[in-house]
Amino acid sequence: MSDWNREDPLDRNPPGGRASPLRRAIGLGSSGSGAHHWWLQRVTAVALVPLSIWLVASLIAHARDGQQDLLAWLGRPAVAVTMAALWVILFWHMKLGLRVIVEDYVHADRMKFAILIVVDLVSLALMAIGVFTNLYLALH
Amino acid sequence: MLIRSSKQVSRWRRPRRFPVPPASGTSPASRIEQGKTWPEPQGATRVRHLRIFRYDPESGNNPRVDTFAIDRDKCGPMLLDALIKIKNEIDPTFAFRRSCREGICGSCAMNIDGTNWLACIRALDEMNEPATVYPLNNMDVVKDLVGDQAHLFAQLHSIKPWLRTRTPAPANSERLQSPEERAKLDGDYECILCFCCTSGCPSHWWNGDRFLGPAVLLQAHRWLVDSRDEATDERLDELEDPFKLYRCHTILNCTRTCPKGLNPGKKIAEIKLMIQQRRS
Repeated sequence: MSDWNREDPLDRNPPGGRASPLRRAIGLGSSGSGAHHWWLQRVTAVALVPLSIWLVASLIAHARDGQQDLLAWLGRPAVAVTMAALWVILFWHMKLGLRVIVEDYVHADRMKFAILIVVDLVSLALMAIGVFTNLYLALH
Repeated sequence: MLIRSSKQVSRWRRPRRFPVPPASGTSPASRIEQGKTWPEPQGATRVRHLRIFRYDPESGNNPRVDTFAIDRDKCGPMLLDALIKIKNEIDPTFAFRRSCREGICGSCAMNIDGTNWLACIRALDEMNEPATVYPLNNMDVVKDLVGDQAHLFAQLHSIKPWLRTRTPAPANSERLQSPEERAKLDGDYECILCFCCTSGCPSHWWNGDRFLGPAVLLQAHRWLVDSRDEATDERLDELEDPFKLYRCHTILNCTRTCPKGLNPGKKIAEIKLMIQQRRS
């Protein structure tokens, strides 16, 4: 794996160049970010523990309910708010996690930027769909 | 199972071949071939077999795995003794690094039976039969077991691993440290920079050009906790990056493989906590 000199969009260190190892190791330097991402990933993970237990337990408890009972349950304010929080936090966590996976494994920069945009937009769309569907069922 | 030290033995059997089978999706030119089987020693009762990776990039030939037979009664107890014996008596073209032969210089790090370790402190009797010896992975091979460490030392250089101060040094003494302050360096200063950990880190395999790797982050931690250093702010600024630091996903191969029994994974977690501390 002589990937140390793989191409980047700015082509700063083209393969076969004579840049020093230190220049390669420094790269573009530190972005001064990443801590926020790391923290939010943990916060959402912690929040998901009770939320997912609650969801599974509720689904088991309401497994034998008819549609009317289920809609009535979803219409309760506490349930509607918790469900909305679940969608937001779940897909936010997914967005953060997928970003890490893409950064880990996708090395062609143009492709990486494109995939990251798709990941962010799809996560936000899923979040919106989840919350909207939930409120729609709760308010009708 | 949370890995806290390389002294722990995993409950699960680990795959023996490391990191990949010899011909899985690699280009034909880098495919490892069956090499030479060297003659058995005459009249030996206890014979150990070593399957050793051989490669000379300048020869134009593919890498190969040679099988050597060693008479245990005419060889020292450690793998390094066997390697030296091979170079002296069997094949003088065999190349590997070594210096201190007692686990303090970090030169003879290699992949032994699938785990990165120092050849000088790995007993022949603890090894498989036949044992496999490969160079540290994820480094360009210079020759045989010698990997190119230029990038790893450049990464070490990039964190400026030296004392950075703003206060002038005291006129008539060294910069002093209390025993308690000195004790904070325990678990950091013992690192011998053999790069067993960095070479075994999947995050460093995939993103080694940007991720600093456990060995270098352990050194970064060493200077962050040194009571004499006055550049903690700069050091944390330089580390706070999704790739340089946060590519560590706490896989803990580093802690599992460290031949000095250190815990780089924990020290990296402490750096992340330090950054969180100053943010909230």
